[in-house]
Amino acid sequence: MGFKKFSSWLEALQNEGTEHLPSEERRRFLKMGFLVTGVFASGSLLSLVSKVNKVYGAPEVYRRSYPYRPHYSMVLKIDQCVDCERCKEACAKTNHVPSYGWRTNILERRIPVAPDEYVTEFIPVLCNHCNVPPCVRVCPTKATYKDKKTGIVIMNYKKCIGCKTCMEACPYNARYFNEEKRAIDKCNFCYDTRLSKGEKLTACAAACPAGVRIFGDLSNPESQVYQMVHNPERVVWVLRPGAGAKPNVFYTKG
Amino acid sequence: MRNWILGLLILGLMGVLGSWPAMAEDDGGEVIFTRPIKAVIFSHERHVNMGLSCDDCHEGLFEMAAGTAEESGDFTMKSLYEGKYCGACHNGEMAFASNTKCTSCHIGVRGYNRLMGPKLEAHEHH
Repeated sequence: MGFKKFSSWLEALQNEGTEHLPSEERRRFLKMGFLVTGVFASGSLLSLVSKVNKVYGAPEVYRRSYPYRPHYSMVLKIDQCVDCERCKEACAKTNHVPSYGWRTNILERRIPVAPDEYVTEFIPVLCNHCNVPPCVRVCPTKATYKDKKTGIVIMNYKKCIGCKTCMEACPYNARYFNEEKRAIDKCNFCYDTRLSKGEKLTACAAACPAGVRIFGDLSNPESQVYQMVHNPERVVWVLRPGAGAKPNVFYTKG
Repeated sequence: MRNWILGLLILGLMGVLGSWPAMAEDDGGEVIFTRPIKAVIFSHERHVNMGLSCDDCHEGLFEMAAGTAEESGDFTMKSLYEGKYCGACHNGEMAFASNTKCTSCHIGVRGYNRLMGPKLEAHEHH
């Protein structure tokens, strides 16, 4: 079908409304949206594209290709976080994080809803194990690298010269200088302390009493992270998408 | 001159320290639960101002003695969903449900430190 024919066909379509569409139908429609985005990106079709982005939140490129197996990822349900800091405690204990350092942190945001009234939101943050990690690109000694099997961004402490360039490059402030190691330290999804020993969850995910941190394999359709990120009904987003780092840590509510 | 300012400061500090336990006696003050997790705030004042009387919660839901709920072992969100403790009213009908608006009550470790920080400091000066 040529573009002219296609556009006239599209304009002739009746609006059926989305209220009564079964979710399978919605899914097919959205898939078509992606296809159209790839082939034609002009004229009235743009509105279709923007709708797709609204539903999906995170850009498509984050989800289509999974270069790693397992492709480790974390989804954070931020409205469930109450800043009890059990995750921070568990992380520090498991990974010997000193009191001045952090592998994961919890930010606080106060959103004004009325004069003198606000709602508080706690935002857990950690290394986003980006698909395009700026820290890896800038490291002069290749002390920080992306694990070829799992995609986890890992530190080789022996190679690190402590120049802190990676700290500057990281869009997520996920790194600190560890005085004892004389090297940069950061979250590695508990790769050395738990995952390589057969554990399925990171220390922080296992310790969270509110089920905020959902950890798993983004390339496995059976995993909870896959199902959450791919659910067209769920709004999922990433922090600082403009940095172009293509993170593997996602945020959602509920 | 310097002594005079210091004197005023000490007087002011005594005033602050003197007044807060008295305030607490009036309506029970603010309760900050730190178990099973840190930290949950409960304002007696806000609840009394809504027209609740002491007997509405004491006793039955909460013993008068501070710390009783925290020691009971079932002071958890699950209990609240079953209608115990705060869940007796926070069920979505009388007041907002316990599984919504989490941060209205959960002030977290940050909130706890913010509240306790100045008080601890004042005690140290005292």
